[in-house]
Amino acid sequence: MADPVSGPPTRSAPLNGVPPSRPPRRPFRDNPRLILVWIAVLVAALIALIVLAERSAQFSPDFLSEVVLYALTVADLTILVALGFVLARNVIKLMVERRRGLPFAHFRSKLVLALLGFTIVPALLVLLVGSELIRNSASRWFSTPVDEVLTSAREIASEYYRQRETDLGREAEHLAGELARIDLASADLETVRTIATPVVTGQHAGMVEIYRADPAGSRGSVVSVLDLAAPQMPRTFSRAVADRLASQVIAGTGERAVLEPLGDGGQLVRVAATIRPASDRPPTGVVVLSTHLEGELARNARRIVEAYEGYQQVRVLRRPLEGVYLSFFLMMTLLILVSATWLGLYLAKRITRPVQRLAAAAKEIGAGHLDHRIEPETRDEFGSLVEAFNAMASELAVSRRGLERSQLDLKEKNLEIEARRRYIEAILDRIATGVVSIDAEGRVATVNGAASRLLRLGREAIGQPAASVFGRDDLVPLARLVDRAGRDGHREVGGQEVALVLEDREVFLAVAITPLPTETGGQGLAVVLDDVTPLIRAQKVAAWRDVARRLAHEVKNPLTPIQLSAERLRRHFAAAPEPTRRLVDECSSTIIEEVDSLKQLVDEFSQFARMPAPRTVPSDVNQLVRDALGLYRGLFQELRIEPRLAPSLPVVQLDQEQFRRVIINLVDNAIEAVTGAPGGPPPGGGLVTVDTQHDVTNGVVRVIIADNGPGISDVDRGRLFLPYYSTKHRGSGLGLAIVRRIIVEHGGSIEAVPNEPHGTRMAIELPC
Amino acid sequence: MKTRVSSPFVSRVFSAPMMAAVALVLLTAPILAQVIRITPLAREDRLLVSFDVSETFTEDLREAIQSGLPTSFAYDVELRRATPLWVDRLVSSARVAATVRFDNLTRRYHVTVMHDGRVELTEVTEDEAVVRELVTSFQRLPLFSTRQLEVNADYYLRVRARTSPRSQWSMLPWDRAAALGSVRFTFIPQ
Repeated sequence: MADPVSGPPTRSAPLNGVPPSRPPRRPFRDNPRLILVWIAVLVAALIALIVLAERSAQFSPDFLSEVVLYALTVADLTILVALGFVLARNVIKLMVERRRGLPFAHFRSKLVLALLGFTIVPALLVLLVGSELIRNSASRWFSTPVDEVLTSAREIASEYYRQRETDLGREAEHLAGELARIDLASADLETVRTIATPVVTGQHAGMVEIYRADPAGSRGSVVSVLDLAAPQMPRTFSRAVADRLASQVIAGTGERAVLEPLGDGGQLVRVAATIRPASDRPPTGVVVLSTHLEGELARNARRIVEAYEGYQQVRVLRRPLEGVYLSFFLMMTLLILVSATWLGLYLAKRITRPVQRLAAAAKEIGAGHLDHRIEPETRDEFGSLVEAFNAMASELAVSRRGLERSQLDLKEKNLEIEARRRYIEAILDRIATGVVSIDAEGRVATVNGAASRLLRLGREAIGQPAASVFGRDDLVPLARLVDRAGRDGHREVGGQEVALVLEDREVFLAVAITPLPTETGGQGLAVVLDDVTPLIRAQKVAAWRDVARRLAHEVKNPLTPIQLSAERLRRHFAAAPEPTRRLVDECSSTIIEEVDSLKQLVDEFSQFARMPAPRTVPSDVNQLVRDALGLYRGLFQELRIEPRLAPSLPVVQLDQEQFRRVIINLVDNAIEAVTGAPGGPPPGGGLVTVDTQHDVTNGVVRVIIADNGPGISDVDRGRLFLPYYSTKHRGSGLGLAIVRRIIVEHGGSIEAVPNEPHGTRMAIELPC
Repeated sequence: MKTRVSSPFVSRVFSAPMMAAVALVLLTAPILAQVIRITPLAREDRLLVSFDVSETFTEDLREAIQSGLPTSFAYDVELRRATPLWVDRLVSSARVAATVRFDNLTRRYHVTVMHDGRVELTEVTEDEAVVRELVTSFQRLPLFSTRQLEVNADYYLRVRARTSPRSQWSMLPWDRAAALGSVRFTFIPQ
């Protein structure tokens, strides 16, 4: 596979028609032009701020403190709020991302914090130091010597003006006093001029303007009477100023002096005085004296005052002005902070976003969406990483499909194996051969149905140590075999015959033990058990039949000569003396009786040996039972024989003669068990019952012959059906053996079980 | 007309949000707002308003005037009627303004007083006390007509004073009142 990282990044083609996932477009943040515009705006704002700060010296202090300061404060607060909003929004976003456990939230938080820390801490330090510098610089603007010089200069200028006003005012009062002696309204102009001219010629004033009150006019209304001006007086003054001053003074509503600026930079100091004939009479006119202050002098005085006022105004507005410069500085700092914060957040996003997308894509791949792809946003290392990721995802998808195919095959094989296993398990469970498997740890792994039946093992044996399972008293011979097979290195043990007594019945098992390799490499054991009890019994019966046949043949032949010889002796000694004849008769009779007995015994043997195959016909079991029991009717006084026949029984294939013989044999045994008991019949009388039942579930007809005799011991019950075994003192011991053989040859079974509360039950099951 | 001492402004100003706002103002503004003494008087069909804000004529202001800065005193007079559970209704408002300019050469104060933009008085004086009187004390200004008032109804007058230029600096961008005052009264025609 080519290294996806080493090659140049290429656009990944859609896989299986699934287009690569595109990151959501953000119209503002993903627009480089807009970002450049924002950067340009920020730079322009910074430049404008610097230019404004440079030119701030040209602005008047009150403009700075009112307009500029207000604008800067608003701008500062706006930027501060924006910065706070940006910071709060991103901090909240980071907190939410961290709480939601989004990938790289911690890394992004640290990155943003580091970038902000690198920016905010120096910016705040610069702000603090800069603010302190501004405060210190502002305090140096003012010094006591400068203050004193400016105040003194202003005092001098002001005093000069005041002195000129005072002098002029004194002259005006003097002239007004002179004019008060005449009636301005009626006096001729020359008289007035004569009085006023010395003031001008004596250079006490540069100009004299005399007004008289106009009684017909409104309050403060005056009429000009005379104007006298020295030749050196400039002609650029405004007459209206003097008129207004006269009117104001005669009305008594304003100041008596006024300073009139002239176009050449000079000034006219005008002072008015009322003409009052007597102190208790209203003024009759106004005298306005004016003196000219040269342009240079006035300008200097005004400059002094302006300098003083400028200084004082700066001092008064010191704090707002400090605020202006601090606001400038703060705005610079905030703009830098906003830029740095935005840049920091932008960088953090630029770094973490591709990684987050990779993490999200890895999550998708992990969730099984192997067709998920990422579209590379850049051509840089992140782009290469995305390409590598896409290539890896493609490889994974291919591998996954192969794996899925393999899984499918494996699943099919597993199903097949499972089916086979169930098939084998079903066979094992249904076969008559018992199979017990033991694992490498010596624990019982499986027990099939036959083994469970044969060995009387329950399901709880599975998982138990084999030693404890086979350690049961009745399984000890089997345990020895298993133990020996285990001890011999799991050597195969074949065809061992084991006789077990299970629930008082002797069972013969053919045992084969085979080593069983396990999945873990160990070796277990497979114990195979075959119930050979019927076979053994059949062998025994066959052996006994052979013995019976030989016995019949060997014993029967000499019996007839013996009997004939005994009869011949008796006939020969018929004429002998009485004692001899009686002895011979007695002995010959004994010989003949015993020979008869032997003949009968031999006949039974012969019959057992030559028992024919049953010739079965469809038969009514109830009827056969009734026929057999009819033979006993009225024979016994202290014994009741009760047939308890099922109302309806299916027809059963039976050799009627043989079956009747079976019933008679079993009823004979029951009667003998009751009547021949040591203590006689039980209280209440002896009882022999013959039940017939139809077991639909198992498909058998059951015939049960029960007695209430003393019963049979467990040991005797196990051997009851063996030939030549009898609990009676007489008899051949072949009766029950013949019964069992007849039943077995009919495909049925017979067993002897204890009757309740006492006695024996012989239960026959016949297939129907 | 009866005048009560209790002021709705005073009770309102002590509410929790207002306290927080005031605390913010106090933190950022070193100047404490002064309380204006206001006296309403109904004569004929006019409501005459007298108020005195001499406390606002601080040393800072005096220095500002003396420095030659044109200094203005603006008073916003509002006639309001309290409305339960809502913003009080503004019945009428007027603006009284006074401007002082000191000529350091002639040492004269030029004072102009205006009512709602109309020049009511122009005066030149050398006396600072006169200036103080002219710009901080206003007697029986016929600012409102009583015809719009309801008889026996409760009203209150609120005066907010502002001075310019400000000699202090605050981070708060809005214009703060140098003095505030209000007085409740029941309108009973004379």
